[in-house]
Amino acid sequence: MPPRKLYFENVRVGDEIPAMAKAPVDRVQLARYAGATGDFHPLHVDEAFAKTLGMPSVYAPSPLGQGFLGQLITDWARGAQIKKFSTKFIRLIWPGDTLVCKGRVSDRHGENGKYAIELDVWAENQKGELVLKGNTTLSVFYSSEDENRQKAGQPPVVVNVPRENILERAAEPPKKSAPKPAKPAKPAKPGKPAKAQKPAKAATKPKPAKPKPAPKKKKR
Amino acid sequence: MLDRSSLGKTSSPTLNEVERGAIRRFAESLGDGNPVYFDADYARASGLPNVVAPPTFPLSFHTGSDLREALGVPLRSLINAECVFEYERPICAGDRLLVTSKVAEVSERPGATGKVEVAVLEDEGRDEEGRLVYRMKRTLVVRGTRENG
Repeated sequence: MPPRKLYFENVRVGDEIPAMAKAPVDRVQLARYAGATGDFHPLHVDEAFAKTLGMPSVYAPSPLGQGFLGQLITDWARGAQIKKFSTKFIRLIWPGDTLVCKGRVSDRHGENGKYAIELDVWAENQKGELVLKGNTTLSVFYSSEDENRQKAGQPPVVVNVPRENILERAAEPPKKSAPKPAKPAKPAKPGKPAKAQKPAKAATKPKPAKPKPAPKKKKR
Repeated sequence: MLDRSSLGKTSSPTLNEVERGAIRRFAESLGDGNPVYFDADYARASGLPNVVAPPTFPLSFHTGSDLREALGVPLRSLINAECVFEYERPICAGDRLLVTSKVAEVSERPGATGKVEVAVLEDEGRDEEGRLVYRMKRTLVVRGTRENG
């Protein structure tokens, strides 16, 4: 099965990433993770030790949860390159916790043949509590044509796409944090009226520019 | 109390060879079955030179010394508050990276219930030509100075 790929032209601000439910975290996973990272702090692997510190049990190193968010991102964004990935740890992860990882496209922009997609990502536990939240910036090709051109040593497809969520914010009353359940904004199908409350979209639905001769030949 | 004199401490560059087996075990420990972590042919078809490391893999690198231990408080009282990775390029099996760690901040920050003691550790990995490959910034909070500790 050839790897499927994510391209800039197929992504819209507001698109939701398919949620990913992880198997319950258990002590075997904590032991495996300790082995994989080389960090064997007894708080995460030694039940008796954790209890002497007044903990109900061992608990997971928080970056384990960031690893789950990383899985969510790389599963969805195949072929993309992660440029930045940050996570804030809100709650501890305990054995038995079942995390559901979610995400949404928060921005996309393109300039000089370089294209970036930004995602908000977060994970909730079985009680619906927010456990981690973060964001990531991905570097992608504009389209398969763009990828083929660049791999053949030709200049990239150049479509300038301004940051969208700034436009959206300007059009909306300011709202903070708490990922809101926005409807995924799918690319408008022909014959389907564009969503009225998303005026920014129309301006930023670019057509690939004619391959212009780029000033410098950049091969990477 | 965090030891203010730890600010600026830096570990000596330590060579980390990125091994396929280590990548596989790391992905397995997360329960992540993406073939890009296991199957070199699949990784190449995805445009990568070899199996690639999961995004949080740099947590497994040796930094010479664990600077969490230089902060003057027991390791168990440090809580991860935030972790930020920045990559210049993907990290792949076969990479040889020189990794250093630094205490970049030791401070008190205002929190919801008073002051919070905070330390920031910054790691970076460079290839053998000295080119930056990744940075990792971890913000640690001292337990008891944050309510949900």
